[in-house]
Amino acid sequence: MQSDITVRTTRRSMLKAGGTLIAAAALPRFARAANEPPLGTWPAGSSGSSVFIGITVPLTGTYADSGEDELKGYKLAVEHLNSGDPVIKMISPKTTKGVLGKEVKYGVADSEAKPNSAVQAQSRFIADNKAILMTGSTSSAVAVALNKLAQREKVLYVAGVSGSNDTTGKDCVRYGFRQSFYGQTAAAAIGPLLLKQFGKNKKAAYLTPDYTYGHTVQKSVEDYLAKNGGWTTATNQVAPLGAPDYSSYLLNVANSGADFLLNINWGHDAVLSTQQAEQFGIFNKMKLIIPYQTPFIAKQVGPKITAGVYAATDFWWTLEDRYPVAKAFVAAFQKAYGYKPEWGANNAYMQFAMWADACEHAGTFYPPAVIKAYEAGRHIDSTVGEVYWRAADHQLVRPVIIVRGKAPSAMKTPDDYWEVLEVVPGAPLMQAPDAFGCHLGEYT
Amino acid sequence: MLSHRPFLVEGLTALGLVAAPFILPHLGFAPNTVDQILVWGLFGIGFDILYGYTGLLSFGQSAFYGTGGFVAAYLLTNNLMSSVMLALVIGTIGAAIAGIAVGIVALRRTGIYFAMITVAIAEMFFFLENNPLSAWTGGENGLPGVPTPRFTLGHFSYHVGTGVSMYAFMAVFYFIGIVLALRIVRSPVGAIFSAIRDNPQRARAVGHAVGFYKLTAFVIAAAYAGFAGGLLGVLQGFMPPDAFTFDTSGQLVMQTAIGGGGTLFGPLLGATVWLYLRDFLQTTFHLGAAWKLVLGLVFVLLVCFLRRGLIGGLRDLAGLVAARRQPAIADTGPATDAGAALASVGPSRRRQEQPFSGPVLEARGITKSFGGIIANRNIDFAVEQGELRGIIGPNGAGKSTFFKMLTCEMAPSSGRIIFHGRDITGMNVDAVCQLGLTKSYQVNQLFARLTLRENIVIAALAERRGRFSLDLLRRIDRVPGLDMQVESTLALVGLGGRADVPVARLAYGEKRRLEIALALAASPSLLLLDEPLAGMSPQERAETVQLLKNIRRGRTLVVVEHDMDAVFELAERITVLHEGALLAEGTPGEIQRNSLVQEAYLGGVAAA
Amino acid sequence: MITWPNFVSQLFNGLASGALLALISSGLTIIYGTLGVLNLAHGAMFMLGGYAGYVAYHATGSFTIAVIVGAAFLIVVGGLLELVVVRHFYSRPPEDQLLVTFGIGIVIVELVRLGFGSLSKTVLPPSWAMGVTPMGFLIYPTYRIVVTVIAAAALAVLYLVLYRTRLGMIVRAGIEDSGMVGMLGINVYRVFMVVFGIGAMAAGFAGIINAPVVSLTPDMGDSILVETFVVVVIGGVGSFPGAILGGLISGEILSLTSMIDPAYSEVMLFAVMTLVLMLRPQGLLGMPSRE
Repeated sequence: MQSDITVRTTRRSMLKAGGTLIAAAALPRFARAANEPPLGTWPAGSSGSSVFIGITVPLTGTYADSGEDELKGYKLAVEHLNSGDPVIKMISPKTTKGVLGKEVKYGVADSEAKPNSAVQAQSRFIADNKAILMTGSTSSAVAVALNKLAQREKVLYVAGVSGSNDTTGKDCVRYGFRQSFYGQTAAAAIGPLLLKQFGKNKKAAYLTPDYTYGHTVQKSVEDYLAKNGGWTTATNQVAPLGAPDYSSYLLNVANSGADFLLNINWGHDAVLSTQQAEQFGIFNKMKLIIPYQTPFIAKQVGPKITAGVYAATDFWWTLEDRYPVAKAFVAAFQKAYGYKPEWGANNAYMQFAMWADACEHAGTFYPPAVIKAYEAGRHIDSTVGEVYWRAADHQLVRPVIIVRGKAPSAMKTPDDYWEVLEVVPGAPLMQAPDAFGCHLGEYT
Repeated sequence: MLSHRPFLVEGLTALGLVAAPFILPHLGFAPNTVDQILVWGLFGIGFDILYGYTGLLSFGQSAFYGTGGFVAAYLLTNNLMSSVMLALVIGTIGAAIAGIAVGIVALRRTGIYFAMITVAIAEMFFFLENNPLSAWTGGENGLPGVPTPRFTLGHFSYHVGTGVSMYAFMAVFYFIGIVLALRIVRSPVGAIFSAIRDNPQRARAVGHAVGFYKLTAFVIAAAYAGFAGGLLGVLQGFMPPDAFTFDTSGQLVMQTAIGGGGTLFGPLLGATVWLYLRDFLQTTFHLGAAWKLVLGLVFVLLVCFLRRGLIGGLRDLAGLVAARRQPAIADTGPATDAGAALASVGPSRRRQEQPFSGPVLEARGITKSFGGIIANRNIDFAVEQGELRGIIGPNGAGKSTFFKMLTCEMAPSSGRIIFHGRDITGMNVDAVCQLGLTKSYQVNQLFARLTLRENIVIAALAERRGRFSLDLLRRIDRVPGLDMQVESTLALVGLGGRADVPVARLAYGEKRRLEIALALAASPSLLLLDEPLAGMSPQERAETVQLLKNIRRGRTLVVVEHDMDAVFELAERITVLHEGALLAEGTPGEIQRNSLVQEAYLGGVAAA
Repeated sequence: MITWPNFVSQLFNGLASGALLALISSGLTIIYGTLGVLNLAHGAMFMLGGYAGYVAYHATGSFTIAVIVGAAFLIVVGGLLELVVVRHFYSRPPEDQLLVTFGIGIVIVELVRLGFGSLSKTVLPPSWAMGVTPMGFLIYPTYRIVVTVIAAAALAVLYLVLYRTRLGMIVRAGIEDSGMVGMLGINVYRVFMVVFGIGAMAAGFAGIINAPVVSLTPDMGDSILVETFVVVVIGGVGSFPGAILGGLISGEILSLTSMIDPAYSEVMLFAVMTLVLMLRPQGLLGMPSRE
């Protein structure tokens, strides 16, 4: 088959490249076999002409909208990998067609945003399809659960959306990787800007979803603003996931005398709580700040509400003006799906592209080798500029994008909701790798 | 209920569990799916005992699944104990304790109300887990890092990993679970569960403490749920918070309904269908989110057209085939010589402990009013040992109310009821029955899904075992004296030849006789019969009058009856009620001559 | 955060959300009281009402028409549901009725998901009801006040129908003694169908008028269903006044407890329900004999 030839040519070109790491990874197969015993789905998962990726995203339930969005990013990435599209080659230059010459196949299962369902489905992909990579999450609960599964099954996991500090903090694993920004970096990025813009000693009200992501983001932001700007917390309204009505929380906010409302809710909760806050006239009294932006929030609540709102995000499509990779990705996505991608899809696309890059550099699918390729700290060209993986906690060192909502009159196109104010470099935002208690665990 | 091939089911289960890992993968089942099915199946065994056997539909089993799972996972992930087995057991105990607490609240109501309360309470558990207790439960993240079990025997240590060893681990527990459950449903307690499902009121009337048995079933279900929850954590290496959600309870209910309730294996089959279709629809048909729609439709159709689920459907089919082959057994009619039977269905031994002289039953000035309307006014009434008393009265005379008060089905507004010199006013029906006073109903109150014999077994069990006994693991045929008592009751009412026919297939006259037999099997010293002849053909009537004559030997009987001829033929003394009050009392002759009685009846006729 | 202004605000908010809960729950309780069926698809009816209104609103641009069309649609859906499915379950154990309505609820939710996707849909309030209304030191969204008034009016209409019309008489007679209605020579099935329709409409109507307050998702009925259970358990299953009382109590509990710690609001609601059950198992206004 064609893939065999591809593999050979890839090898040859790799050897020519001659980098030490690459040379080590590209040792002849028989030599490697001795010190690469079967591990997880290796070698069974990559002995055929294709490799399999298990994708679990919520297709039903509260997060189904985010799940659909992520899925588009994954599908586009797989398509690009298999066709050797130029866009993916910008991120993973060694990619020719497929990954290490093998076609990428995938299966999609509904995680219902439940950790249990996600773990079940991925276990099935591992057992049935010998999946060599897992992905998908729209909540940190799922990400943490899949992290643990990855480490136990020795199958790589690249997180979907996950904003909790814990994902690469206390619940980090050797087999898990996160591309996206998270509570700590969001807070550290948006904090200085808020202080610069609004001054010190303000009163803030928080709307926090009642789970790890919400608690860690809220605490990160609150701590930063208190320590550096003397902001106080007027109230912190913790609401359950999927609350049908925010009226009582919002009345507490309205009567708290705060100057700012920091809405940390995610997904549909973010949309609903923001809409209702506007109905309660809260934005006449206080300004909205979104420390961790939900994709499509502006589209759903309308630009009237988001006008002038500061938000921290992972990616916004107008970054295409700054980064060629972003430009190429946005164009390809627009062509495929008819609208501009938001960060859920971008995250999905980048995760696959960077995984392919790691595999190509490792020259093998042997998981510890791929992990080491990740950990090598190679600089990667991405949709948000140059990024690299931090070996100590498997978090991508990447900038946080600070955006401000455009007024409807200022929007040039229907998708032009946000203006990029600042691309805050990632490294200074991040905590020390062990600050959140990360112990990565074993390679084998 | 009474299995004649004791270890057949167990053997087949073991065989199936051993064969499954060799067969199922060829049908497209992933190993992990098979393990999941076993966890759901085990979870469902307890639920089936609660729903299929006892008739209590709970939509809140997630509370116990989660509780058991999180207790075990907490102990293991915080290194408070290293033995997985011990943690699972403690988790199970935790779930059972939660079951007692929830059961005490929820079981105050029945039916739909019960279902709603269980939903709400389970939802409360979910919220508690998610926030107030998140320091222990990990909130919405759950508890990752649950270890897999390790068994150490001397120097030899075996670590259960994934794959076959995990399957074996799960299968062993499923097997233990099913064996225990089979023991339970074949025990006297199991029989009483079925009786409660069919007719809780009658189960109480024959002397069973229904409330305690319901709580027992509830706690058994909670314990199974707790154990299954613990296994889920072990299986996934992670205790998911969604164990606590309404979805979990809903899925369990649906799986059980699909497989078939009241079968113990229904939930396992239901889980197999559910998980298989879920995977199949998504991976093969690429249905995406629509998989749930398809499964929802399958479920609705099954509930509509296959009332007892897949297993029930198969069983009905088998039953149809078998019924066609089997010739009907003729009704033998009531026994004319019941002397032998009487010996063992006589008034029970323990009720004659203290010799007692004076009236067996006495009502002193009892009055009953319903919000201003007085149904019974200041009635004095006494029945002597060995007497056969008739109570008559025109329609609306308050006979039924009076009768209900005598058996403690209804408490009087004022006045006392004395039985064997003991004040029984306000006691529970079951306790009164245990003292030796029971009743047969005007409208048949039978256990409709059981056979005739099983019906009588239920009544006899109350007499043999008392109000409440937890002999969960005792085989029902090991209850001393039970068989003899059942057989002699059957003989007495002349239904011996029809013993294994389901109640639903009995003729009306047979059902009437069974109704009386149920009361008789409880070996009462005082038997109250509420219109025993109601709705009978002349021949059936004659047979029943004969039956009453037979059973009165050694017993005291009170009969309310519209059939005057019968009352005057049978009774030694007759009490006449009119407009809620006592009108007259005397021998049949005296009553016939009583002008007040004539007037009351004539007046009644004239008014009607 | 207990301050006087906040207390008054929350008290009013409890009333507003309670009125809506009462309306939804009254539908559940009327159906149960008359037919003896607990409709587990009631949450789906609420959701379906919202979507029906959404479709009508986008077709016509008129909020009033959306409300009317949505309500009419739900009465038809309810009636059909009774005719096609529920009717065949009267002779079956109540547990089977729970199962089948539970299944129908899932099917409806997933059908809507198939048709409309999972992304939330927004319905704008009529322009005259936008903005906020200052009421002393309480500022409240105008449209929510409108919703409260409409919900109260709808409850009043239901009350009139139940207590002042022949249909209402039959329904209430059915609640007292379902056997009697049949004896009165009334076509019970037709009454049942109408009642099921009205019950579904109550939920659907609440769903439409509430649509501008929340944004629509296919799952929106799930959490409402559990709350209506709590409402009717507190108020007494089958009791129309009980549904109103229970609704208001639940609304106030959720609202007032949020001042202390919102994380415990839901737990408090269930705790109060448990308390009611312990002290008065039939619910505050329920009849003791009714199971």
